[in-house]
Amino acid sequence: MHNELAQLINSNVSGSNAEHVARENGDDVLFISSEHILRVCTFLKSAQGYEFNVLQVVTGCDYTDRIEVSYILASFINNLELILKTKLLKENKDHTPELESVCSVWEAANYQERECFDMLGVCFKNHPDPRRILCPDDWEGYPLRKDYVPAEKYNGMVINPEHKINREEIFFGEKLKREAVDPKKISYSWKKPEYFPDGVPESTESE
Amino acid sequence: MDMTNVNPHEDTLTFKKWFQNVWRGFSTAIKGMGITFKYVYSVKPVTIEYPEVREELPKNSRSRLFNDVQNCISCHMCATACPVDCIYITAERREKDAPKLKTSDGTAIRLDLKQYTIDTALCCYCGLCTTVCPTQCLTHTTDYEYAAYTVDSMKYDYTSPEIVAWRERLVK
Amino acid sequence: MSDHSTTSEWYKNPAEREVLKTDLLTLNMGPQHPATHGVLRVEIKTDSEIVVEAIPHIGYLHRCMEKHCEGLDYRGIIPYTDRMDYLGAMGMEWGYALTLEKMLGTEVPQRAEYIRVLVAELQRIASHLMFFGTYAIDLGAFSPFLYAFQDRETILRIFEELSGARLLYNYIWIGGVWNDITDGQLRRITKFCEEMSESLKKYHALVGENHIFVGRTANVGMMSKELCFDHGATGPILRGSGVNWDLRKNRTYGLYKDLDFDIIVGEGIKGQVGDCWDRYWVRMQEMHESIKIIKQCLDGIEEGPIIGKVPKVIKIPEGEIYMRTECPRGELGYHLISNGGKTPYRLKVKSSCFTHVGLLPEVAKGQMIADFVATIGSIDIVLGEVDR
Repeated sequence: MHNELAQLINSNVSGSNAEHVARENGDDVLFISSEHILRVCTFLKSAQGYEFNVLQVVTGCDYTDRIEVSYILASFINNLELILKTKLLKENKDHTPELESVCSVWEAANYQERECFDMLGVCFKNHPDPRRILCPDDWEGYPLRKDYVPAEKYNGMVINPEHKINREEIFFGEKLKREAVDPKKISYSWKKPEYFPDGVPESTESE
Repeated sequence: MDMTNVNPHEDTLTFKKWFQNVWRGFSTAIKGMGITFKYVYSVKPVTIEYPEVREELPKNSRSRLFNDVQNCISCHMCATACPVDCIYITAERREKDAPKLKTSDGTAIRLDLKQYTIDTALCCYCGLCTTVCPTQCLTHTTDYEYAAYTVDSMKYDYTSPEIVAWRERLVK
Repeated sequence: MSDHSTTSEWYKNPAEREVLKTDLLTLNMGPQHPATHGVLRVEIKTDSEIVVEAIPHIGYLHRCMEKHCEGLDYRGIIPYTDRMDYLGAMGMEWGYALTLEKMLGTEVPQRAEYIRVLVAELQRIASHLMFFGTYAIDLGAFSPFLYAFQDRETILRIFEELSGARLLYNYIWIGGVWNDITDGQLRRITKFCEEMSESLKKYHALVGENHIFVGRTANVGMMSKELCFDHGATGPILRGSGVNWDLRKNRTYGLYKDLDFDIIVGEGIKGQVGDCWDRYWVRMQEMHESIKIIKQCLDGIEEGPIIGKVPKVIKIPEGEIYMRTECPRGELGYHLISNGGKTPYRLKVKSSCFTHVGLLPEVAKGQMIADFVATIGSIDIVLGEVDR
């Protein structure tokens, strides 16, 4: 199905560069160039024999240099499913690449695109309501990006304050290691180094 | 035309329709009341008076975790499987000349367990840790009444003597 | 929705509306409102008692489960999927397990397949009973809630014995199920099914046929076929709007292709197709169909292993997949992108409730506030799934 569809898109929407990527595992994917997303979607909704009348998901996946936005379309008329993908270049952590909104094609895109913006920082041009949806409006950063650093403070409130993290147990292992004659013998389960950004605090030793 | 399909706002309301409406509302409500009254007299009480009567949980109910530290070989499997990382284990390698220890099923203990703590406030009771335990020393018990005043007191160190003493009560 | 029945005459006439124009009143419904079924906040702009605009604000229960999953191994994600739709957790687990099984190529033993259908359908009944009870409460009837919970309790008790937990089961594993079902439990399910068919008729007579209930729900909150497709609505809402679409039949999975059941489609018996009463009716009839499926499973279930061959450390080969299943509230989709590691590179959950919340502003326009409550109730959202 994907190959014919790619040809059909290419012949009807010039410059869309539809490309069928076959996968060994799971579903095949159709890549198109990002500038023509709206035209391709408009075409797919009414394409003879396909008629993708339902937009299931607009989502994305962050790779370090690019964000791949996937549009998962379904046809309830012909019982088809399609993963349509487009690549957006991402320059740095705060860069928000732009993409045409498809709200005029499917109303469902409204919420899905808002979520995509909220989580991955993809700006949708001509979106009727470009706000964050799940995070608060004044949230900083895009959580589902791989380079997202968890915020430490929000509106002056500390996120995950120290007394809520179980530090004592972590330090128990560390303490034992320090006291032991042979520290190599000690092993403990809580090994995540990000919890010791600047070493183990001394205060726990006094106990 | 079925009366129920008629929208009272759209149609002109005649006396007949008004009375029909009232009758319909009245009769269906009476029918509903009949069903309710059947419940009053024919259904046995389904609730229990909690502090006096206590519910016996099914055998494989996933309530408070208990680790029988005498059988624990400190393999860290449970801590790895835990999706919320609420198990903290600290173990020390045994000296070569120390007397050999074995669990009840015959597995040799090569590590000395220094502490085995589970933060029950963080635990999501998914049961993944109990399924990977090779000696089956970590189990869910059916004990469910352990509310505490502070988050700190929800951390149980299973090597401490007072918790080891639960064994009699919890492990069946 | 200009032809909305409960819209007053003067509201329909724009000229008259202009003369009578007053300032719009902003009303916050929720996040702690019993009728919003969780922590949904709807900002309503009202013109007297008519909703001019409704803006749902969601995210109060947002835990960013998708981000969590990127740091967890594949088995550890199952408890997280439970916590999305906590009223239909079995369906959530099943969808996730199916996604991974398709990627791994795992064969699920026959007995496990039967148990999965069995628990998923029991869960559907439990979830719809919850809808039935809370919807009645939304519309002012209290006792149906108690009756529904009484029956739901039986299901939860069976689940508790089966998996060890009452709501968040972690029961359906990759490749099979956790615990085996005993003959005693099967007999109890048989008995429950018989009682349930009787009770359902009683419930329908108590609530569905009640004239006041019909008055509150018929011709209220109409959703046309086109609106549903445009907004991507699925599940009982789509079927209530008269579309014959059920993934269990149309894109079959598990054992559903061998089982005999019907797709319930809203017919507009009390009002028009796609109103609140139709959605209620679709759910009530679906419970009958679920009972039918369960009975077939009880006949067909055979002895055998309950878990297939799954590697100890699950590594999903590189690739991506989108898998849809029919959950009590609509279609649930998992979009998994794997880079060959022990943890997913990206796991996107398409939740039906999230899409359905997007439908609300469209339906709310021109409704009375009380009708809006009826509409929210009929959509049957679970905020855990909306916010994920």
